[in-house]
Amino acid sequence: MTQIPFDIHAANRRERVLLRRRRFYNLGPAAPFVLPGLILACVFVLYPMLFNIRISFSDYQIVQRSMSWIGLDNYVALFTERGDRIWLAIRNNFLYAFVTTPFIILFGLVFAVILNNLRRGRVFFRTCFYLPVITSWVIVGNVFAYMFNAGGSGLMNYLLKDVFGLLPAYVPWLQRTWTANLVIWLLGIWKNIGWAMIIYLAGLQGISADLYEASAIEGASKTQQLRYITVPMLKSTTFFVLVNMIIGSFNVFIQVLLLTEGNPRGTTSVLQYLLYDKSFNLFAFGQGAAIGVITALLVLMTTLVLNKVFGTRGGRTE
Amino acid sequence: MKWLRRLPLYLFLLLSVTIFILPFLFMVSNSFEEFSYVLPNPPRILPTRINFAAYEYVLTQSNLPQAAMNSVIITLCTAFFTIFVSAFSAYGFARIDFWGRETLFRIYLGTLMLPGFLGIIPQFLVLQSIGSSASGLIGTRAGLILLYVGAGICGNTFFLRGHMAALPKELEEAVRIDGGGHITTFFHVMLPLALPAIGTLAIFCLQGTWEEFFTARVVLGGVQSNITLPVMIQSLRGAHSTRWEWIFAASILAQIPMILLFILFQKRFVVSGLTEGSVKA
Repeated sequence: MTQIPFDIHAANRRERVLLRRRRFYNLGPAAPFVLPGLILACVFVLYPMLFNIRISFSDYQIVQRSMSWIGLDNYVALFTERGDRIWLAIRNNFLYAFVTTPFIILFGLVFAVILNNLRRGRVFFRTCFYLPVITSWVIVGNVFAYMFNAGGSGLMNYLLKDVFGLLPAYVPWLQRTWTANLVIWLLGIWKNIGWAMIIYLAGLQGISADLYEASAIEGASKTQQLRYITVPMLKSTTFFVLVNMIIGSFNVFIQVLLLTEGNPRGTTSVLQYLLYDKSFNLFAFGQGAAIGVITALLVLMTTLVLNKVFGTRGGRTE
Repeated sequence: MKWLRRLPLYLFLLLSVTIFILPFLFMVSNSFEEFSYVLPNPPRILPTRINFAAYEYVLTQSNLPQAAMNSVIITLCTAFFTIFVSAFSAYGFARIDFWGRETLFRIYLGTLMLPGFLGIIPQFLVLQSIGSSASGLIGTRAGLILLYVGAGICGNTFFLRGHMAALPKELEEAVRIDGGGHITTFFHVMLPLALPAIGTLAIFCLQGTWEEFFTARVVLGGVQSNITLPVMIQSLRGAHSTRWEWIFAASILAQIPMILLFILFQKRFVVSGLTEGSVKA
């Protein structure tokens, strides 16, 4: 009789040991593999993100290293500022996404389909289209700045007015709001088409040749094949490109820095440029951090909307 | 007659290629010029002469050689440590079923959705607080490398994990039966099998680090002797006037390694695809 309570205690203890084992199971074996990366991720990704939120609610002085809680003051200051710089930046980020993404997808797909059917010169054309992708933003930004120079020494003015006669006068491209935005968009489109093309080329490899053969037997034309086989089969690829381009458009920065610095009067600015300007030119770190938080919220919202609209939660994958 | 039907297609391609190549052509032709601050009018599309004065200037008079050296060191170190740490990390996530794995991985994925330099201010402060000197690791190459490796961990772990999870389990079990642990499995089974994916990661890491501008400027901006090529090229942009031929000559020199990398590993860029890693997500 006396053995039973003893057994129960022992069993409980054993169970607790087992349970604890189950609770933190395999942490020992995993630690040497996961820990180095986890520490780096905590120090350089997770902690900065959280700390950034904290700074956005503070008056942060970098020299004195002082940080005092001021609630929403940074946000209020940003949204009530004269000149509406934050609103203009948000507008320009969305405009950039809506204008560049369709062209990138369209031309990326067109070039991929053409190159996929090409027997000669495929490598040559592919390299040419991919060249902008592997060229540094700083380099292409500078080239575009020179090409869209205001006077007759700018290549675009020279070509459009003097050679083709399409313009009545030289255009100061980068000094006016909409022509400057146009140049920023053009640079974005030109730089990213090659990337979309490569993704589509990979996607095209995944479409079974049987589908084309079968449809050819049924008498489908090339255009019909494109419309009813290629495009639908590439749906998840398109979603991948779309998400990447739209989320990526919140990263627009160097174009603006090199081409316009947000001028005239912040009408070509974007969020990342404003963040940079506030933090590293004006040393308003609190406001800079607040712009970071606002951007993060916008990205989150956009991602949710994209998932809702296109409906495929696993659509990121092939 | 078949090629005649294809003619419009080739014409379209050639036209597109011309537009795509124009900025590069323009850059090359202008790098042979000597503007002395006055831009030529009309602009040069094709080179009017072959003159290497601008190249000579940036190679001997500017700090391009130093910046190139910094870029090489920073890029190679970043790629090396990135591969090392993320391969280890990816193995942990792909092959060891540990407590909290899914939650942790979700957190990693979540950070990927946010634009990279949102945390730049705190990252700057973190680097500043590491080390004994007042500015910490700010302005040092080691600081920039550390930040690059750290900031890339989540994405690179995600990429490699997909590949490692897709590999067959049998070989691993064979090692286990022979008494080998995870370390043996990692070095003798997983690493060799994941080599193609690691190669792809290496190339994208090299390319991305080589061209990175914003973080490099924020971290190294104040220390001229440690700046990388993109920062150096940008510093050639004068406040009032710019010697464009210097910028273009420096740009072309800076771009050569990337073009070689692309030509050598073109298959990697295309065949293995960039989306592959996400398969097992």
